[in-house]
Amino acid sequence: MIELFHVWKQYQKPFWALSDINLQIEKGDFVFITGPSGSGKTTLLKTIFREILPTEGQIVIDGVNLLKIPDHRIFALRRQMGIVFQDFRLLFHRTVFDNVAVPLQVIGLPRKVIRRRVFHTLRQVNLHPKINDFPSRLSYGEQQRVAIARAVVNRPKIILADEPTGNLDPELAFEIVSLFKEINEQGATVIIGSHDRELIKRFGQRVLFLQKGRLATSQPTRD
Amino acid sequence: MLYQKIKYFLAQTAGSLWQFRTRNIFSVTIICLSFLIIGVFLSLANNLSATAGELAANISVTFFLDADLPQAATEALAAEMRRSPLVLGVDYVPAAEALTHFRESFPELRNVLESLKTNPFPPSLEARLKPEAATDEAAVQGFIASVRARPGVEDVQFNQDWIEKIRGLSRLARAAGLFLGGILVLASFFIISNIIKLNVFARRNEIEILRLVGGTNTFIRIPFLLEGMTLGFLGSLLSLLVLLVVIKLFPLYLGPTLGAVREIFEFRYLNLAQSLGLLTAGALIGLLGSLTSVSRFLRA
Repeated sequence: MIELFHVWKQYQKPFWALSDINLQIEKGDFVFITGPSGSGKTTLLKTIFREILPTEGQIVIDGVNLLKIPDHRIFALRRQMGIVFQDFRLLFHRTVFDNVAVPLQVIGLPRKVIRRRVFHTLRQVNLHPKINDFPSRLSYGEQQRVAIARAVVNRPKIILADEPTGNLDPELAFEIVSLFKEINEQGATVIIGSHDRELIKRFGQRVLFLQKGRLATSQPTRD
Repeated sequence: MLYQKIKYFLAQTAGSLWQFRTRNIFSVTIICLSFLIIGVFLSLANNLSATAGELAANISVTFFLDADLPQAATEALAAEMRRSPLVLGVDYVPAAEALTHFRESFPELRNVLESLKTNPFPPSLEARLKPEAATDEAAVQGFIASVRARPGVEDVQFNQDWIEKIRGLSRLARAAGLFLGGILVLASFFIISNIIKLNVFARRNEIEILRLVGGTNTFIRIPFLLEGMTLGFLGSLLSLLVLLVVIKLFPLYLGPTLGAVREIFEFRYLNLAQSLGLLTAGALIGLLGSLTSVSRFLRA
């Protein structure tokens, strides 16, 4: 379970990127965070995977307080999370296989296991024919799927995706979110930051609406 | 898992060394030159101290005699010298033999000798002293003074001064080498540090991704440390190879002009401990250079 208690974040005075966020996300939930540009979606996601620390408040994941966790345990925590960045952050001098294999290499799995898992994951995102290609030779949507494959290859408990469908056409965007839904049905908690309201409506999941750093609503949007 | 990680680290290191090969070659060259300076001076110091050691093992005093000193008087003097507890043996060197020896030792001065009408070398008695005499300078000086006072003894040459001078030069060469080399090694430390920093900077996206997927700082750091160590090790290894070539080629280059100097200097290479020391120092410099730059980056 992910819990946020009175979380505030300030990058620069007097503006607050996050203001008094209180939130609970149950294990296995599928949640969209939405809101206009600059509303704090990315900041909220970054505080959850502890890329940044909140100015005030507490964040607790599965009973572990992120603000009190010693540095050497942050690595273990991050291994339980899969992150899809808005800009993908792919390694362009490495093949698709190498990009997806990174989280598995970090934990030192044997090469054979890594190969099997990477291939399996790439098949899930329908990219296995391009396993030896370099990201620069892939389309935008394919690069996005490489980033998703990297986030899920380690079978994380929590998946955080920041605008994973940005700049994609509606059909491809639907396909990508469907992929997250499949992963969610396998047991992972999925949190997606997106400003695409139409897409969010199509999936009818719980939506957190951010407005100028404040949580405006936290409700399901089932039609 | 450890085996897999080691394989991963080695692959990363090799990949980075190849990816940034131009700047890595530059780095290895700088380290090589720094260590070459130390190597040259160490080799010189080795030669000088070995020469001093050889001379110390054969301390001798040469008493130059009056050319007209009768044979009997020379023999009596030699017999008296042999009775001294400091003396191992006494050899008579006739003037003709001294001339022959000089011609052999200094072939380049043959013309000078040929222009002389007479043999300029006097006969001499060479007293070889026992090794323990080297430590009792007062007794040796007393012995020299007593022989020098005898009629027919014109001059005396004692190689103890030379031994001390050569030992002093050896110490000077070692100190100069360590001083100059030390400065250059310090410079190469900063060069490695900056080159690794450039490599780290070029791979900052990768480092960022590794951090966010749960890579520990140690996991991220190790390939860079191995890279620095490899650069340092290769640089010092290359310097040892260059030094070997220099030592083999230098006498050939100097050739006939060397004369007696070649007898004194055998152009010895570094000993095993010195070679291993330089290799270790190279690897250590590389390790420290990369450690400082990577740590700085990971903290940021």
